[in-house]
Amino acid sequence: MTPEQALLETEVAIEMITVVIDGFEVTVPKGTLVIRAAEKLGIQIPRFCDHPLLKPAGACRQCLVDIEINGRAFPKPQASCTIPVENNMIVKTQLTSTVAEKAQEGIMEFLLINHPLDCAVCDKGGECPLQNQAMSTGRPESRFEGVKRTFEKPISISSQVLLDRERCVLCARCTRFSEEIAGDPFITLNERGALQQVGIYEKDPFESYYSGNTVQICPVGALTGTSYRFRARPFDLVSIDSACEHCASGCAMRTDIRRGKTLRRLAGDDPSVNEEWNCDKGRWAFKYLTNRERVTTPMIRGADGELHETSWPEAIAFAAAGLKDKRAGVLVGGRTTVEDAYGYSKFARVALGTNDIDFRARPHSDEETSFLSRVALNLKTTYKDIDVADQVVLLGFEPEEESPIVFLRIYKQVSKRALPVLSDAPFASRGSEKLGAVLISDLSKIANLTTKSVVIVGERLAETRGAFSSVYELINKSGAKLAWIPRRSGEPGALAAGAIPTLLPGGRPVTDPAARVDVAAAWSVESLPTSQGRSTSEILLALNVKNLDAVVIGGVDPLDISSTALTQLLNSFVVSLEISHSAITAVADVVLPVAAVIEKSGSYLDWQGSPRVFEKAIADSLSRSDVRILSMLADEMGSPINLPTVSATAREIASLGKWDGTPVAFEKSVSEKITELGEKLNLKSWRLLLDLGTLQGGEANLAGTARKASAHISKARAEKIGVKSGELISISSELGSLELPVEICEMADDLIWVPRNSIGSQVIANLGFVNGQVKVIKA
Amino acid sequence: MKFTSEQLKIMDSIISRYPRSRSAIMPLLHYVQAIDGYVTERGIETIAEILNLATAEVTAVSSFYTQYRSEPAGEYHVGVCINTLCAVMGGDEIYESLTDHLGIENHETTKDGKVSIERIECNAACDYAPVVMVNWEFYDNQTPQSVKDLVDSARAGNPRPPTRGPSKLRTWKENSEVLAGLNDGLAHEGVSAGSASLLGLQISKNGGRQ
Amino acid sequence: MTELTPRPDDLGLTAAAKANVPIENQNAKSFFAQLQGFWVTFTTMFKKVTTVEYPEVKEPMAEGFHGRHQLNRYDDGLEKCIGCELCAWACPADAILVEGESNTEDARYSPGERYGKVYQINYLRCIFCGLCVEACPTRALTMTNEYELADDSRSKLIFEKEDLLAPLRSGALKPPHPMAEGKTHIDYYRGDITDIKND
Repeated sequence: MTPEQALLETEVAIEMITVVIDGFEVTVPKGTLVIRAAEKLGIQIPRFCDHPLLKPAGACRQCLVDIEINGRAFPKPQASCTIPVENNMIVKTQLTSTVAEKAQEGIMEFLLINHPLDCAVCDKGGECPLQNQAMSTGRPESRFEGVKRTFEKPISISSQVLLDRERCVLCARCTRFSEEIAGDPFITLNERGALQQVGIYEKDPFESYYSGNTVQICPVGALTGTSYRFRARPFDLVSIDSACEHCASGCAMRTDIRRGKTLRRLAGDDPSVNEEWNCDKGRWAFKYLTNRERVTTPMIRGADGELHETSWPEAIAFAAAGLKDKRAGVLVGGRTTVEDAYGYSKFARVALGTNDIDFRARPHSDEETSFLSRVALNLKTTYKDIDVADQVVLLGFEPEEESPIVFLRIYKQVSKRALPVLSDAPFASRGSEKLGAVLISDLSKIANLTTKSVVIVGERLAETRGAFSSVYELINKSGAKLAWIPRRSGEPGALAAGAIPTLLPGGRPVTDPAARVDVAAAWSVESLPTSQGRSTSEILLALNVKNLDAVVIGGVDPLDISSTALTQLLNSFVVSLEISHSAITAVADVVLPVAAVIEKSGSYLDWQGSPRVFEKAIADSLSRSDVRILSMLADEMGSPINLPTVSATAREIASLGKWDGTPVAFEKSVSEKITELGEKLNLKSWRLLLDLGTLQGGEANLAGTARKASAHISKARAEKIGVKSGELISISSELGSLELPVEICEMADDLIWVPRNSIGSQVIANLGFVNGQVKVIKA
Repeated sequence: MKFTSEQLKIMDSIISRYPRSRSAIMPLLHYVQAIDGYVTERGIETIAEILNLATAEVTAVSSFYTQYRSEPAGEYHVGVCINTLCAVMGGDEIYESLTDHLGIENHETTKDGKVSIERIECNAACDYAPVVMVNWEFYDNQTPQSVKDLVDSARAGNPRPPTRGPSKLRTWKENSEVLAGLNDGLAHEGVSAGSASLLGLQISKNGGRQ
Repeated sequence: MTELTPRPDDLGLTAAAKANVPIENQNAKSFFAQLQGFWVTFTTMFKKVTTVEYPEVKEPMAEGFHGRHQLNRYDDGLEKCIGCELCAWACPADAILVEGESNTEDARYSPGERYGKVYQINYLRCIFCGLCVEACPTRALTMTNEYELADDSRSKLIFEKEDLLAPLRSGALKPPHPMAEGKTHIDYYRGDITDIKND
């Protein structure tokens, strides 16, 4: 953390110090490094190892400057990245001191002695700090005539990161990042002297969820991403600031595009959210767009039962005819932008006249609906609250797997000041271990909550009856800060846009006449549906028993909801808005192609509720955002929603604003009595960050670093079943079974944990539920 | 193959000497060499597990220090000092004659597994140059012939005792145990500082150089 | 319009035109002047001609003429291009497009790790300055003397890699194929691969 950030975080006055750099005075907080103070003056000192978010290392020696304090000069040039400013310090950089200039040129010459001249085939060529600084502060000519040290190249330190050791300047940015920021010290500096090199332990590859950041901060081309290797040069690429579509962490991103195709994505710079980091999923999972066959033209199902390509007017007319004056519901999916979710929300109310709309394509409950409508919508907790928290409680939430940047923020405080962390997880996952999380079996074990504590609830809390009620009580009693962090990027935005059966946009309760009048006026409609709508599972049930006739579906994978979701759709009229062919398009009556993230503008709300706005990356794309298509559909149905563009939608959302009236009351639920298990075990699961998720398709290098699926059980249970660690067990329910190798860990004897959607362990598809009782035997 | 419970108990006792467990990494690596003869995979993995470190971190330490070997050492590991003073006093010659004699190169081991050789850096015994170390015991003022005799006697199973230190040369594994901090009870044997080291002290006691 | 002014070799025609005097009425001196003119034409008929009967006859171009590009190969047929895009970078007319790709064990197009998968030169843009040739680190790109680059559509003037690659010499193999036995990309780079089998 830089002293500037410290100032922000603690809000305590910090002593200011004035130094003279190259003849200019600058005043900075005490503790600021000379290299940072120089930056404030716009003086750039060359550097490789220095990174503002990593601890000083002084490894590369490139930033040598001449320093004198109180009239006494250091006998030799000093590394400005390790020396904090002092009063009466006079610094002379390469701009004013020949000593510093010569020292920097000398270091550069040393670094280049063993650096290969393979810039022509190096991915970093053209955007390389070593190239740039060799030009700006290096000697014009090398005096080295010997033979350069070479290594076998490249070596693969994980399936997604390649290492060219001879290019490395041993700045240790990658090893320091892995240890300090990610807590995954899987790469280290090995050997010594001329043979010193970055390396791994051969059997343990660099399988960190954050490994891509090392590629981004490598100041030379030593670490490169397998998927981007040799793909492009910087001048080929058009860079667009974007937002990550993978989770609700809300990372700022940079998307690099060449000729309409994403070639790479990099972490953007947002100190209040992701700092300068992101996770490997955000960085490398973008091939889902080219992986499956895109839907490019509208299609309607003909009398022969097959989908046929057709024109837009025909498809829209067909869809409108199937929806008009019918009882229809809307399944939005968790990946929409705020604008698209608003489009679905308005479409449901105005065109379909129903509140049967839900964004939750995952297990959910009425208790959760009530929690989201009353509590989650009005939370004001932010990343900054984690920075100053006195303890963090994780409930139904596994940060490293489900919101990796939230994990980095908590880990930062854990490693800095041993922030206490509690978790209700059934066993200590790798993430929990890194956080030193204390596992609690139930909420009554949470003690000492203060107004500075942060309680984070995840979407999986919906799977435990009564859990949200207990949390609500806990927060009301203690005044602790609460955060709701769902897994998917679109959920917070969809909630705010009213894509939920209980709320209209802006958190207006559907059952409140004043709220309805408010929205109806803004939408220029006479009335809005008055009763609370159906949730996702209720919509599916209603479709199945013909209480509903039709359904409009956004980006939804039926297997995220339940094993029967797809069959429940079969008897109804299905309008699918999709980017690629999917399980839903296979049964849909109308398929309307929509724009993928890079083809549209829009915004997400991150879990803090802050908008993450992004622009269209592919300017000449003809694909249209969901909201535009819904607007066309509504026009055809004769009940227009008047949302022709994303920007018009954004304006309407802004003008509508938030509800300031009475919110709905939170309806408490009572937790279930634990039923007798007998020989069976209670199944627990969550999704791993890297798994079989739809948006990770087509990227084998990324999938290669996913954690291997295994079933976790206690030692006593393993003995009872008669299995040893690594042996296969069979887990079965009435609906199916799966086999996984066992991992024995400390957990309750009546529990078993498996990953929810990994290779060999797709819980909903294999067992039919995520929460239930299973039979476990040795396979 | 796992380490035995006695061996793991000894590792625990080594760890208990330090206020922070990770400080025990170096003696533990020596202890692994005492058992396996070099830093084996099971050694790295066990140390990482019991010290709660990543395997990569253990690798970093074991590959940094030259006393840790990544391949099996001979029962008698002969280090010939090739730094400036020893080299000019005959170290280079000793090394060459030794490689010819044994038919192996730097970091290699004889086929019978008895002797391995290594070019080593200064061992702080320049006053006895040229110096050869066998299992980190000093053999002072060596000649090519004396070193040949030494390795021959070692291969015959009856090595000549060190010039200083204990009265019997112990094997690589046995001495690794000492480096791990396990007492072999031989600390009192032999001279620790020879006459060449003490010459300066003697002169100053006699009133300095006249 | 500028005023018509008589030039020294005007033979009095301008003045005649101005005076509206019929040409046949000109004096004898001007008649001989005309004969003199025909004499120049007549003698030229017996001089050596400097033009050629293009396209039936084609003259070789001067050494160093900047014509169509060629992507060269090593003697065994492997491509010299490593897909580094330095040519595209150097190009002031933005006429070159390159996309690199990794060589694999199964499919090797060039020595070393990287080869040019896509290589296009747009001859509607190219100004034949040769900066691309100077930028090429492996001498993969050179220019030939070929200048016949006219065609009837824009797309035909975007030359693909296949159009630009040098023809295979006898004994050379069409890539993909492995590097010569026991040779590395450095041997190739140094031109140290002479033992090419000729069959």
